[in-house]
Amino acid sequence: MKIHPNTVPYYRPNLNPSPIMAANYLGKLADDVRRQTITMIHQAGSGHVASSLSCVDVLTALRFSLMRWEDSSRRDTFVLSKGHAAPAWYSTLMIAGDIPDTTPTLRQIDSPLQGHPDRQRLEFVDASTGALGQGLAMALGAALACRMDQSGRRVWCLLGDGECQEGEVWESLMFASAQALGTTTVFVDHNRSQSDGRLEDVMPIGDLAAKFQAFGWNVQTIDGHDMRQILRASHNATQIQDRPSVIVAETKKGFLRDGHIALNGAHGATFDDDSASQSLAVLGGGR
Amino acid sequence: MKATRDWFGSELVKIGDTFDNVVVVNCDLGAATRTLQFRDAYPNRFFEGGIAEANAIGVAAGLALEGYRPFVASFGHFLTGKFLEIFQSVGLNDAPVVLVGSHAGLAIGKDGPTQMGLRDLALIRTLPNVAIYQPADGVETNRMMEHIAAGSQPVYLRLCRQPTPEVHTPDYVFRPHHPDVIVRGRETLVLTMGGSVHSTIESLGGMVNGESRPTIANISSLPVLAAPFLELLDGHDKVVVIEDHYQVGGLTDEISRLLVDNRANVEFRAVAVTDYGQAGSPDDLYARYGLDARSIASTLRAVVAA
Repeated sequence: MKIHPNTVPYYRPNLNPSPIMAANYLGKLADDVRRQTITMIHQAGSGHVASSLSCVDVLTALRFSLMRWEDSSRRDTFVLSKGHAAPAWYSTLMIAGDIPDTTPTLRQIDSPLQGHPDRQRLEFVDASTGALGQGLAMALGAALACRMDQSGRRVWCLLGDGECQEGEVWESLMFASAQALGTTTVFVDHNRSQSDGRLEDVMPIGDLAAKFQAFGWNVQTIDGHDMRQILRASHNATQIQDRPSVIVAETKKGFLRDGHIALNGAHGATFDDDSASQSLAVLGGGR
Repeated sequence: MKATRDWFGSELVKIGDTFDNVVVVNCDLGAATRTLQFRDAYPNRFFEGGIAEANAIGVAAGLALEGYRPFVASFGHFLTGKFLEIFQSVGLNDAPVVLVGSHAGLAIGKDGPTQMGLRDLALIRTLPNVAIYQPADGVETNRMMEHIAAGSQPVYLRLCRQPTPEVHTPDYVFRPHHPDVIVRGRETLVLTMGGSVHSTIESLGGMVNGESRPTIANISSLPVLAAPFLELLDGHDKVVVIEDHYQVGGLTDEISRLLVDNRANVEFRAVAVTDYGQAGSPDDLYARYGLDARSIASTLRAVVAA
């Protein structure tokens, strides 16, 4: 499979003995994923810029460090429940060399890079998602399967915070707790914004962490752009066997790097030539 | 005499023994959908999802994508109410889930239209990769369950609450998407499914001697394949659909599309539920909507005489 020219040759970071080095390395990979995401959405002329960029750090950590990946029969399962962040996941897979770089085909007819992830069309999409609220339930089904198989595989899921307005999410939270699904780790991309504005203004979801706790989950809240915190919280989560874990990742919509966000973080905005160049310039080392 | 939901419950335990990838996701209606026998036999392969059908469907989809053959069971009305989940988590994912929708049609009676599976076919039939099966009796339930367990296609299995007599002999062979001829007659072809199959057979007793006897076919799976349907249609110039479902989106539409697509020159008549339905005893309801044996007999007499 052709590796993207910008790809840093991939070696699974060895978290032991130097987690700091691993985190730094993952941070560089995340910048590659951001560049790829920006280029892809810019070329497509549409796509959810801000929602994709807010979860790049989590996706990078998942692919390059957290998920067991190499042995395909024992690969961990990942469900991108906020399917509109698909360009960020496609970019992660391209930077890793898992899929060919077909960047210009995003959202084009017959492309494997559908507007929302489609497992029938692209490998490494474990579940087709798009209409919000459904991914967690599928992840839990997979987690039940992993538990029955005793394969040691884990299941990961990424939810949007706006998505948590969907009632099915709370059905799933209840179910996971009742089933004591300790093999499940969920990230919530808590970027505090949704289609029509800020969550606070559209429909406040309140204290997410407290709500998850009340539903019987192990809860951690972190800075979702700090790779060390992502790794540490995930490590903690995998130590909890008797209940599911959720990591509330405080993020910024359109995050590029500290102090810089793309397109003012607007949910519906997309790139023109200038704004794409500006965002790439913020990241430095762009194409 | 047993209902197809009863046959389903015991068949589920049997196939669970043969197929260890068969699991159940329940929605707090295990007693009504007859899945509790499976729980007793295989407690580790039974997952209670409570009164939360959307999550249950998604959980079943996740299990299916990992290689299991999950049966997620509830009243058909409730299960198909979560259509966005069925569309995406099951359909678009091509997840080999078996959606078990019990209490098809008017038969739940006194509980009324908030519990009646009367528009489940219309919803599920829109999905290009989901097969719809509705057995007419115990023999057919057995054949279908074996077929389903061995397969990997998403399925909607529609089950009845009301006990009905057997209409098949033990040597019956289930051929998916083929019409199953129960009575071979002439001129008039009657197509029906599920619990209405027996009512239609019973209606023949109400026919007057000397009237030409119609053909009765059990349509136990959708979509219906055109070739075997046209072969069956040959020699008939009147077609009647008897359907315990709303008149739009179910068997009536399936058959009329086949007739129009193939330029069939036939007289066409359909009996189905034309409003939301209401509470009442099943006998009263089937009589009101023209779906009891006596009403079917009068419909058929009129069509045959025309």
